[in-house]
Amino acid sequence: MRIGIDIGGTHTDGVLIDGTRLVAAAKAPTNHDNLLESISAVLQAILTDQDPARVQTLNLSTTLTTNAIVTGRIDPVGMLVVGGPGIAAKHYRIGEHFHLIYGSLDHLGTETSALDEQDLEEAIAACCDQGVKCFGVASKFSPRNPAHEDRIREELGDRADFVSLGHLISGQLNFGRRIHTVYYNSAVWRTFRAFAGALAASLQGFDLKAEVNILKADGGAVPLARAMDAPVQSIFSGPAASVMGILATCTADADLLMLDIGGTTSDIALFAGGEPLLEREGIAIEGRPTLVRAIRVESIGIGGDSLIHLDADQVKTGPQRLGPCMATGGAAPSLMDALNVLGLADFGQTERSRDGLEALAAQHHLEVRALAQAAVDAALNAIAAKIEALVRMVNAKPVYTIHEILEDREITPKKLIVIGSPAAVFKELLAVRLGMEVIVPPLHGVANAVGAALARATSHLALTANTSRGQLSVPMLGVFRAIPRGFSLQDAIDEARRLLKADLEQAGVNIAAEEIQITQADAFNMVDGSYTSGKNIRVVAQVRPAVVARLEPDAAAIPVRLAGQS
Amino acid sequence: MLKAASSLGVIFFPAFDWAISPTHPEREERLLYTQDQFREEGLFDVEGISEHRPLFATDQDIMRAHFCFPSVDAICTESHRISAGGAIQAARLVLEEETRRAFALVRPPGHHAMKVVHGNRGFCNINIEAVMVEWIRAHYGAKRIAIVDTDCHHGDGTQDVYWHDPDVLFISLHQDGRTLYPGSGFPYENGGPRALGKTINIPLPPRTSDEGYLYALENVVLPILADFKPDLIINSAGQDNHYSDPITNMQFSAQGYARLNELLKPDIAVLEGGYSIKGALPYVNLGICLAMAGCDYSGVREPDFNAAALREEPETMEYIKQSCGPLLDGYFHPARGDFEKQGEYFVRERKIYYDTDGILEKQREELKDCEHCRGLRLIKTSSSQILPCLGVELPMDCCPACEREGYEAFNRKGDEFLVAQMLDQKNKHFAYRPKK
Repeated sequence: MRIGIDIGGTHTDGVLIDGTRLVAAAKAPTNHDNLLESISAVLQAILTDQDPARVQTLNLSTTLTTNAIVTGRIDPVGMLVVGGPGIAAKHYRIGEHFHLIYGSLDHLGTETSALDEQDLEEAIAACCDQGVKCFGVASKFSPRNPAHEDRIREELGDRADFVSLGHLISGQLNFGRRIHTVYYNSAVWRTFRAFAGALAASLQGFDLKAEVNILKADGGAVPLARAMDAPVQSIFSGPAASVMGILATCTADADLLMLDIGGTTSDIALFAGGEPLLEREGIAIEGRPTLVRAIRVESIGIGGDSLIHLDADQVKTGPQRLGPCMATGGAAPSLMDALNVLGLADFGQTERSRDGLEALAAQHHLEVRALAQAAVDAALNAIAAKIEALVRMVNAKPVYTIHEILEDREITPKKLIVIGSPAAVFKELLAVRLGMEVIVPPLHGVANAVGAALARATSHLALTANTSRGQLSVPMLGVFRAIPRGFSLQDAIDEARRLLKADLEQAGVNIAAEEIQITQADAFNMVDGSYTSGKNIRVVAQVRPAVVARLEPDAAAIPVRLAGQS
Repeated sequence: MLKAASSLGVIFFPAFDWAISPTHPEREERLLYTQDQFREEGLFDVEGISEHRPLFATDQDIMRAHFCFPSVDAICTESHRISAGGAIQAARLVLEEETRRAFALVRPPGHHAMKVVHGNRGFCNINIEAVMVEWIRAHYGAKRIAIVDTDCHHGDGTQDVYWHDPDVLFISLHQDGRTLYPGSGFPYENGGPRALGKTINIPLPPRTSDEGYLYALENVVLPILADFKPDLIINSAGQDNHYSDPITNMQFSAQGYARLNELLKPDIAVLEGGYSIKGALPYVNLGICLAMAGCDYSGVREPDFNAAALREEPETMEYIKQSCGPLLDGYFHPARGDFEKQGEYFVRERKIYYDTDGILEKQREELKDCEHCRGLRLIKTSSSQILPCLGVELPMDCCPACEREGYEAFNRKGDEFLVAQMLDQKNKHFAYRPKK
C-alpha cells in the first residue's frame, strides 16, 4: 500500500492506496507552525482499521521549504562566487554574505585565471566571524570544470555545516541560476533536516515502516535521505502533485490542459501527448530564476474567493481576495457568490451571496444578475487568455535544428481537466467558453494527495564529452574522467543510461531501462585549422515524471474524512 | 539582476544539423560555443532580452529580392529559408513593436548573394538582409533603410542588390579588397546612375584595431546616417574583424564590437560571417547582445585579450584618418562613374564567379533611363551551368510604358531564354514564366 500526503496552503490531504484502489482519504487544516500535527491528523484518519505494516511507501508533498523562504525563516548563507569575463557576477548578489573570489574558466572549462587563494581565505574568514555555517559555492562554467568549486569546498573543510556546490546541483549551464540555486539550497537545509528528523520520529509512532519520499517540483519522488542533499528540489511541489494527480486519475494520452481551481489562485498546466511539460531551465524563487527542475505551471489570480469589484464601470474579478466568499462568512462578494446568484452553484449560505451582490449592484446601478454574469465572464475570459498565451508560448519555444523547424508538431489541446474544490461548478462554463471537452475527474478534492502517493522517481543528467581533449563529464554525479579518442555518440548515450540507472539504484530506486529517455544526443565535429580534431558530444538523459499506477474509476465511492478539526 | 534599457529579441538559430561540408567553416559547430556562453551567462534571463524562433521564408519572400535561376528550389534549401526567416522574424519583432531591437543570430549567412543567384558565393546562397528588407517594404510600405555591413569581407552581394535603389543606403566597412575576398569594395563603387552616393565603401587596412575601426564609424558612418535619416538601421553583423579570426587579418575585439553597436544603435542586426568559433564568437555575440539591449558590457572580454598588443600601428591609424575625409565627401558629392549607355538604356556587362560552387556567370544588365519612374531593369544571364535566363524588374513607382515593355519581354514567345522571372514591385507580382 502507498500513502500520499499533500500539505497545501489551507488543507493537508492524505490518501491510502492499495494497488489501483483507493482505500481511504482524509483532509485536515494545515498548521504552518507545526506541519507534523497536520500530517499526524490525516495519518490517523486514513490508517483507522488498517495495518500500517502493509504500507511500503509514503510520499509527501510539503510546503515546508516554500514557506521557510516566504517567511524568511532561513539560515544565513555564505556565498563564495567565482565569476570571470562576461556579465559581472555582482549582478547576482544574493543574501547578506555574498563574496566574489577572483578566478575564471572559459566555455571549454579551461582555467583562464587561477583562483585567488587570498580572496578565498578572507571571504571564508568574514563568514565565519559572523557565525555563518551554511555555504553556497558557484563558479562560472563549473559544469565544464569543477576545479574551483572543489577547491573552495576543500578549503571550507569542517568550518561549514553544509555546502552546496553548483556543479553537483545541476549539470546545466547558467551561472546566475546556479548562484541562486545553491543559495536557496543551503538556506533551507537546516529547516529541512530538522523536519526530516521529526517526521521519522512521528512515523514510528504510527508503526509505519514505509520508505519515505519527498515530492519534487518536477513531480518525482526522492528518498528522504537523498532529499537532504538538495532540499530546494522540494519547493513548489504542490502544483506538481496536482499534475501527478491528473496522471493518476485520467487517461492522459493526448495534448491536454489542467486547471486546478483554488480559493485565491488557479494553476494551469499543459500536457503534450499526455506528458506534463517541464520548465525549460528551472523554476523561479522570489523572482530569482533557478536550476530547480519543475513542472511548468502558470498561476492566475482567479479563484473561488476572487473579489468582484468595479473599475471605471468595468466589472472585474480578482486578482485580489478579501477573505472567503460571503456564502461562507466573508465580507465582500466573490466569484463563488456570483455563481450562487446565477444558480450555477449551491454553496454555503446562498442568501448571503445574494445580499452581497445586490448591495454592490445597487451601488453601481446595475441589475444583480447582470453583475453576477459579468463577474463570471471576467473570470472565464482571464482563464481563457492565460491558456491561449501558454499554448502560444509553448509552440513558439526556440529550436536549434532545421529538423525541429520542419517536423515539430504543434501542441493543440482539445481537452481540459479541472480539479480543485469548485471544479464541478465550472465544468459547463469552461466547456462553453473554451470550446473544449471538460472533464472533472472523480476525487478532484484529493487529487493532489493521490498524485503524490503514486508519483515515481524522476531523474536526469547531462553528459558532455570532448574527444579532442579526451574528457567526459557528468557534473551532477561528480564524474569527470578520461575517454579514448574513438569515444562515439553511441558510447556517450550508453554511458548516460548506465550512470543514470546506477545512480537511481544507489538511491534505492529500480527503473526499467526503457524508462530512461534520451532528450538530447548531438555530436559536433570539432575542427582546428582545417582538420577534424575530435567530437564535442552532448547527451541529456532523463526519467520523466510518471505515476506507478492509475486509480480505478470507482474511487469516487470512497468518502473523504475530515480529520483533526479542532 | 540585469535589466535591458531597450528590449531586445534574439533569434538564435544555430542550425545544428546543417553544414556546407564537415570541415567547412560554415558547419554545425559554428554557434555551439556561443550557445554555451549565452546559456552560462543566462542572457535570456535578463529582463527585456527574449529568445525567438525563426520564421520560414516562402518562395514569394525570396522572389521579392532575387532572380533565382533556374528556380528558387534549385538555389535554396530549407536551411536558407530558415536563415532568411530568422531575419524576417527580427524585422517582425521590431516593426510590430514587440521588442525595440532584434538580432538574428542565424546561419547560413547571405551578404555575398547578389540580385541574380546561380549558386553559392562566399558561403551565401540568398541574401537574408535583402529578403528581410523586401519583406519589410511589402508589409509596412516604403521605408528609408540603411544597411551598415560590418563583416570583414566586402558585402558585395548586398551592394549589388541595392546598387540602383536610392531608398536603401548601403555602407560597407571591410578589410581592403586588395588583401581579401571578394576583392571589391573600393570607394569608387558608389552606386548606380540613379542612386549615386547611396553605396559607400570604407576599406580599412589589415591589422586595423578598435580605435581605427571606431574612428571610421564615428567620422564617416555616423555623419552619413545623420544626413540620410533612415527609418531603420540594419547591421549586417559579421564577426570576422576579430583578431582571432582564421580567414582575415584584422585586430578588432569583443569590446570594439560592443562599442560599435552602442554607437550605431541598429534596430536590427543580422549575423553574417565570423569563424573564430571558440575564441571570438562567444564573446563578440554576448557583447553585441548586451550593447543592443543597453546593458553594461564592460565585463565582456576574451580570456587572451591584450589591448596594447592589438593596437594598430601609428601609420595605420594615420592612413585611416587621412582616408575618412574623402570618404565622407563621397557621400555628399558623389563622383559620377562612367556609365555605358546604349540608346535609352544604361548597360552593364559583367562576369561573376561563384567560388563555393565553381560557377562562372555572364550577365548583361539594362536599366531604362526613364523620366517617369526609376526605370525598367532587364537582366540577361547565363553561366557555365545554365543556358541564358531573363530577369525583369519593375520598380515600385513603375510607369505604364516601362510596365508594358517589361511584361512584353517577360511574355515573349520563342525567345532564347530558358527561364524568365518577373519581379514586379509595383503590382507585387513575382513569378516565373510558365513552361510551354
